[in-house]
Amino acid sequence: MAESTPTQDLVTVVIDGKEHKLPKGTNLLEACRSVGADVPYFCYHKGLSSPAVCRQCLVDVKGSPKPVPSCYTSVADKMEVTTNSPKILDVRRQMLEFTLLNHPIDCPICDKAGECSLQKHYFDWDSKLARNEGIKVRKAKVVDVGKHIVLDQERCILCTRCIRVCDEVAKAPELTMADRGSHQILTTAPGHRLDNPYSLNTVDVCPVGALTAKDFRFSRRVWELSASPSVCPGCATGCNIEVHVARGEIHRLVPRENPDVNKFWMCDEGRFEYKAVHNNRLLLAQIGGKRAPLDRAVAEAARVLREALAADAKADRKKVGVVFSAGATNEDTHALARLALDGLKFERAYAAGRAFGWSDTILVSADKNPNTVGVQRIVPPPVRTERDLLSDVASGAVDTLLVLSNERLEVEFGKLRALVVLASHRGPLVDAASVALPIATWAESDGTFTNRDGRVQRIHAALGTRGDVMPAWRALALLGSKLSINLAYASAAEVFSDAAARHDFMKDVVFGPPAVPVELRFGGSRG
Amino acid sequence: MAAEITSEPGSKRRVVFGEADVSDFDESAEVPVESMPLRMGPSHPAMHGTIRMALEVDGEKIRTCDIEIGYLHRCFEKEAEAATWTQIFPYTDRLNYVSPMLNNVGYALAVEKLLDIDQKIPERAQYIRVIVGEVSRIADHLTCLGASAMELGAFTVFFYLIKAREWLWELLEEISGARLTHSYVRIGGVVGDIPEGWAAKLLSTLGKVREAIGDADKLLTRNKIFRDRMDGVGIIAKNDAAGWGLTGPVARSTGLDYDVRKDHPYLVYDRFDFDVPVGSTGDNFDRYAVRLEEIRQSMRILEQALARIPDGQILIDDVRVALPAKRETYNSIEAMIAHFKMIMDGLHVPPGEIYSFTEGGNGELGFYIVSDGTGRPWKCRVRPPCFANLAILNKVLPGLFIADVVPTFGMINMIGGECDR
Repeated sequence: MAESTPTQDLVTVVIDGKEHKLPKGTNLLEACRSVGADVPYFCYHKGLSSPAVCRQCLVDVKGSPKPVPSCYTSVADKMEVTTNSPKILDVRRQMLEFTLLNHPIDCPICDKAGECSLQKHYFDWDSKLARNEGIKVRKAKVVDVGKHIVLDQERCILCTRCIRVCDEVAKAPELTMADRGSHQILTTAPGHRLDNPYSLNTVDVCPVGALTAKDFRFSRRVWELSASPSVCPGCATGCNIEVHVARGEIHRLVPRENPDVNKFWMCDEGRFEYKAVHNNRLLLAQIGGKRAPLDRAVAEAARVLREALAADAKADRKKVGVVFSAGATNEDTHALARLALDGLKFERAYAAGRAFGWSDTILVSADKNPNTVGVQRIVPPPVRTERDLLSDVASGAVDTLLVLSNERLEVEFGKLRALVVLASHRGPLVDAASVALPIATWAESDGTFTNRDGRVQRIHAALGTRGDVMPAWRALALLGSKLSINLAYASAAEVFSDAAARHDFMKDVVFGPPAVPVELRFGGSRG
Repeated sequence: MAAEITSEPGSKRRVVFGEADVSDFDESAEVPVESMPLRMGPSHPAMHGTIRMALEVDGEKIRTCDIEIGYLHRCFEKEAEAATWTQIFPYTDRLNYVSPMLNNVGYALAVEKLLDIDQKIPERAQYIRVIVGEVSRIADHLTCLGASAMELGAFTVFFYLIKAREWLWELLEEISGARLTHSYVRIGGVVGDIPEGWAAKLLSTLGKVREAIGDADKLLTRNKIFRDRMDGVGIIAKNDAAGWGLTGPVARSTGLDYDVRKDHPYLVYDRFDFDVPVGSTGDNFDRYAVRLEEIRQSMRILEQALARIPDGQILIDDVRVALPAKRETYNSIEAMIAHFKMIMDGLHVPPGEIYSFTEGGNGELGFYIVSDGTGRPWKCRVRPPCFANLAILNKVLPGLFIADVVPTFGMINMIGGECDR
């Protein structure tokens, strides 16, 4: 917010005795924080409107008889603001004391403990022991408010962030406040449940543990998690996410701020994309449905493909096909295109992926694949569709297939002569494969996805691989080495730069260094 | 009869047997000797402390000495960077594990200075810190004297002194719950008050300890066997002591009058009347004598401290520094949060750096701490006194006999946990 362009009107604001030039109309809370004045808040959220209900961000503005809520004030010329006077610190402390008055002693059993704003602000700003000796107001504790969410009314500090997320982001006003004073509660609107497709964002914005996700509830303490930046593989929108991992297992996906794509949000569906990563994985290579050493499987795959190509050449026909995946990264797609199209001169290229589904105008795309645009731009036409593939197999126009990560693909396997599969999960495709090589999922891969707007976004491996699992580009490079096709890539970055040199849409994209997972216990309170 | 012995190609020396007078025989000129490498340690029955000395000996004489340390390296400093400020106390216990209380106090003082609360520590806590610290110092010196005497064959003394040490450790166990690794001090004070009747117990124990060191004194100080091994052996010059950064009893034995308690008083040491003994020659016996006297001086401090200890709190009254009482934690959300944040995030120390030093059992125990404002130190460096004290052995040992290694090393009192960290 502090950055400004010359065209903007700048105003001079004094914050804690120092003069700052800030764009006119900047939110005062953002202005304070941008110049290093740590003003705490509960109800304010960058992506939502400001109701100024928590009174935590009160600051002194010269000329104003009372402290003003900075989240509800815009900077004006010659404004003099104090954020750390004894009076303001006292106000902050007193507001926290109110907030804590009826708060249950739940930290040991609360999922939010460790990333709770209330804990953080109390420790930073209050740190006085309780003065009230009365009995706390009791409210309902485990309220099933929606498909994915449990509400604890006692923990709620009435900041209304969740109500605003429903109103302003999901456009589904399902939550509301009821009753008054210390008996005020958060509840669902009469006749409604918290069931909108963006309901889990309310859990993210909840500064305390009032709204918790049923999925994550009691699965891990947050300070055991480490976060890796990635991109949601659930649809073509490509919401930026953080993958939260503890001991080699993903526990939740949360949105990561990207003003150009998803702002602060993601849909509920996307959050469950991680479930598939751990289940039903193909960990070792297979030949004809039986486990085989990796090098033998690769050699066998090469032999199968070579034979099919030789048979094609002999009979002067084109019955070998390659199936690309709209779920694979740009790097894997590029490596497959280099191997099958440039190297082995396959003439039949198909692209398959998950079926289209519902969509809305907020975030969700109908295209449920993360890299449809990437495949379209990398694989040279003509690219046939999945429907073409089914009919071509049925008619016998194609009888040998090299398939990349399309586990759910079901063709008439009986009509194929040979089927080489690179797959991360077991399924009918792997069962039918002549050779199956285990590859990494999005959660174990470094690479990029191209979203529906053509934006190339980086994903980082959040997990290590097990068994013989490797990134698809590496498996393809191995296969290439057995087929005298040189794909000597040492890293995803090298595949990327090779792809970027050949495809204009990736030309100006920077692959970037690997992201070191942030251990949340060292990351401080996320709040 | 003549025999020719060729030691090196090209050089011929003539040794004649039966014809020349023995008194004419110059051994060093005539007998070709090759120096022999001798590795003492890391596990040697006459040395306490896991350390290897790479000696080059010429017969019984030490020509060169190379001290190899690191056998007890536990990554203390690196581990500390991942631990909250409070979690580091158990690690400090394991520095000089013979006097953990002194390490606890040294570390706590460093963090308190960084927090700028060192002037706000309750007085009773400061007195308790002095008391447990001096008890620890006595235990430390008793161990050094007893073990060194035993290594020279005086087993009885070892029993007397280690028994005395055990009485003191029992007292510390009563106070902290642990015989050896106390983790008793906290940032902002100490974790528990001294129990009822403890002071009287300590006083009567001091009487017994006084008897024990009296016995040891009688057995050793005028014992010819002991004196022959100690007197004039391992002499360190005063200049060298200062130049090599020696501190503690080792430095004081050379006549260097430096004791952090006197020269840079901390806690309430400036309120007590005690003397700092110094030696004159800097040999092993001086180090023995200095330690013996320091035990007596520590007892003086203890008696004064026990007489003057005030009533009051033992832990600073600030939930941002010290954990709130358990009763509060279980019954109020405020204390619960404070407890939670303190355990999970650690108390927040403002950004800055500090070098804080105290008189440990072996000398100046320093902590150089850098904070980046989080709940864990960015850097926690220890200046272990016996690291510097040990280094001078490279200079002291050459010229001595192999047998001198044992008392000299013993009197340096290297503690692996502290030296190697």
